Amino acid sequence: MSSIDSFDEVQMLHPMTLIQRFLIAVPAFIVLLFPLLRSPQSSDYVSVVAVVIYGVLALPLIFLRYYRFRYRITRKEIIIQSGIINRQHRSIPIERIQNIEIEQSVLPRLFGTAKVKIETAGSAKTEGVLEFVSVDRAHQIREIVRSYQEDQKEPQAESGGEVALDGLPTQIEASRSPSRAHEEEEPLFAMSLGRVLLTGMLRFSLFYIAIAFSLIQQFNPDPNDIELWLTKGWLAPLAELAQASPWLFTIAGIIVAVSLSWVTGILVSLNRNYNFKIWLRDQKLHKHQGLLTLSQGTIPLKRIQALIFRANVLMRKLDWVAMEVQTMGLESSQRGHQIAMPLGKRAEAADVAQRLLPPFAIPDTFVSVSKLTIRRAMIRLTMLAAGVLLPLSYFWRPAIWGLFVILFIPWYAILRYRNHGYALDDEMLYVRRGVFRHYIWAIPVSKFQVLYTTASVFQRRLGLSSVYVDTAGAGGFATPEIIDIETSDAEHLVATCYRTFQESFSSSASTS
Amino acid sequence: MRTLEPAIKKIWTIKLALFTGMTSLASLVFEAVRFFSDQPVLFVPGLLTGLIFLSGLSSTLAVPKLRYKFWKFDLRTEELYLERGILNRIRTIVPLRRIQHLDVSQNILEREFNLSKLIVHTAGSRSSDVVLPGLRMDEAERLRDDVKRYILEDAV
Repeated sequence: MSSIDSFDEVQMLHPMTLIQRFLIAVPAFIVLLFPLLRSPQSSDYVSVVAVVIYGVLALPLIFLRYYRFRYRITRKEIIIQSGIINRQHRSIPIERIQNIEIEQSVLPRLFGTAKVKIETAGSAKTEGVLEFVSVDRAHQIREIVRSYQEDQKEPQAESGGEVALDGLPTQIEASRSPSRAHEEEEPLFAMSLGRVLLTGMLRFSLFYIAIAFSLIQQFNPDPNDIELWLTKGWLAPLAELAQASPWLFTIAGIIVAVSLSWVTGILVSLNRNYNFKIWLRDQKLHKHQGLLTLSQGTIPLKRIQALIFRANVLMRKLDWVAMEVQTMGLESSQRGHQIAMPLGKRAEAADVAQRLLPPFAIPDTFVSVSKLTIRRAMIRLTMLAAGVLLPLSYFWRPAIWGLFVILFIPWYAILRYRNHGYALDDEMLYVRRGVFRHYIWAIPVSKFQVLYTTASVFQRRLGLSSVYVDTAGAGGFATPEIIDIETSDAEHLVATCYRTFQESFSSSASTS
Repeated sequence: MRTLEPAIKKIWTIKLALFTGMTSLASLVFEAVRFFSDQPVLFVPGLLTGLIFLSGLSSTLAVPKLRYKFWKFDLRTEELYLERGILNRIRTIVPLRRIQHLDVSQNILEREFNLSKLIVHTAGSRSSDVVLPGLRMDEAERLRDDVKRYILEDAV
């Protein structure tokens, strides 16, 4: 095994990288050769020429890319040199590194290698990628960067107490395989296999339903076609049934689609959340998860901007909740949201939240927004439904039946009102929202960014305003906007929010 | 509470007038092509262009005055306060300690009127930059320096 000093020297990627990249290139060959494979007799020289050109160009490129890639880790920075013709020299200062994520998908796992993603605070995207290094090496890189960061933060690292110790180089050498180090740590939260499967069962994602539907659509244009397609004859009674009662068949189709999507959801959850585990160390949240694709990451606690709890109808009935942490500058693909708990009981989530953001305590009561919001939602949604459906029914008659949806609007508006509210204490702002899927945001006062009060023409007529507290890394579909509270309440809320925000800084300045 | 420089109204008027002119012209070309083609006439010729032109003209006349009337700002000791909006009234508090960096920018039209705008960047996500338009160049620079001084002092 390499010692710590060797990191200071110029390193290359793991040799297995070459084989993996060749394997990844194979599908492209097959695609190029596809016309020839389909009809071997034809003299389709184009694809042969394409394959030859591809081979002449791509394969040496794989070699060159590997041989021209160098990285080096010093006490101050990580230097990555890459590029075949244009040499790129990237230096990532150690102190700016926020997260080192180790990712292992199926192929790298077979070869005992891992992808190391280096993320910094400055940019939303991954700053540096080492693809691939050995698993042990990946963990060593993470440990060494962490220990360098500790050294920089406090030059008197010895006095840092026992928490700082495990980042020290001696420890890294002692534990040959740091990947197993976390298993000794007591997890803050871990998922059993049953829980992982339940997560999949309880998620009711329209996304997978849409996929399932489109698949059904693909393979199910006409019952007779199916019958011909599987022309063994045993489907014939089914096809007859379908022709006899198309409604029944449609319902059966929907049931099949929904169960397909349900099963897909379970499988996705199994792959993603298998062996899910989070634990705390050095004021950082560590995360480990995955069946086929292993991924591990760390989130410094002080980078957490907000906690988000969400639960759909089914989860709420059974007292389950999912928890996300909102961070700044991490993984743009996650929109700054990382799942800290795919599925947990309310009490478990509250316990973990308490550890992540110590002042956290879900308030007993939320202040409701104005009742007028029901009226506004009803008017708005009715107008929207009419505005969309009436012109549509001009072109397509049956769309007029869609107007039945208007009957459900009052019910929707009341549900929306019932779950909308906020609570503010000295440390946190809590906002509750959502109709079918409920959300609760817990935003530490000290993480506020910009405060907005807005009032549209219609809101002003009713004496209402909306309040939005912006945080770093927020965004996505649902936002913690407090909609339709009385203007005087809004003004008071913003003033109080801002005062507590200011106080949180003056108090922290006086204590430190 | 402070107001913007009155000259900003001229810039807004020019911008709106340009926009009105462009859309009216586009609609005019569309209608002319349609008129001389053998496709059936959809509605009274010139109606679409007329509507676009009239609504553009009225907003060109009304919007700058109203927008100016509702635009207020104030740089206080610890925050920048903004108030704006004709239909949707928005009030924004930008705590100075949250400001990441500042820009003073000036486009070609603003240069003509010796105006500029101050752009304040925060780490927030809804609008990571808050724009304060219609400031005299020296005023914008002074505001920027005031904010900068606060940020630098606060960091220490």
